[in-house]
Amino acid sequence: MGAVLILTPVIIGSWPAITTAVAGAAAAMGLMVSQSVKETLNEGQSDAEQSVELELSDSEVLAESMATDQEIVLTKGAIELRVKRDERGRCSVCAKGTGHSEVELKKIAEEFTQKLTQCFVYDKVMRELKNKDFQVVNEEVSEDESIRIHVRRWMD
Amino acid sequence: MAQHEVEITISKEGEVKVHIKGAKGKSCLVYSKWLSQLVGKVKNQKLTSEHYEPEIKARIDLKQNLGIDE
Repeated sequence: MGAVLILTPVIIGSWPAITTAVAGAAAAMGLMVSQSVKETLNEGQSDAEQSVELELSDSEVLAESMATDQEIVLTKGAIELRVKRDERGRCSVCAKGTGHSEVELKKIAEEFTQKLTQCFVYDKVMRELKNKDFQVVNEEVSEDESIRIHVRRWMD
Repeated sequence: MAQHEVEITISKEGEVKVHIKGAKGKSCLVYSKWLSQLVGKVKNQKLTSEHYEPEIKARIDLKQNLGIDE
């Protein structure tokens, strides 16, 4: 018997697990990790600077061993992305930057959250497959940027 | 020894497609449950054509039940 499943990911993880996925997504999108701890909360926002905030609705960042106001700041040129745990415990991404429209910033934030989701799911699935003694037969990134993993194991 | 294979595709948007092959009977559903708990919510699930092929034991049972030799 075989089956085909389509699954919508739910991101539930500790802050370290989220940061691993954030680092992966940042690397894939050419973003630099400039800060790992929030220290610039009181910085003002200039008039020309737009900002957009997106929340990953199906996410939960576990608060254990996490400092208050902890966040990761990523930069690429004039664009800054801040990834943090919001007051509801969800993962949120705030994009801002001078010289970029709200639409552009929203697009960048959406691209990043998608890549973050993909990285998070990949890390989690690969870790569990190895724990269950699956052998990786093949692994590739397709032209459409999807990740394909083929695994097998022998059962008595 | 049975070979169980799983093909997993994680789309650019993060959606996950899983194809389970070679797992017979309830073991396939065990894999489905394990992977759905691991990843998130089940959006769609369908059993492949293998599922609809009668298992040998079931065919024998049916033949025995009907009293048919061949």
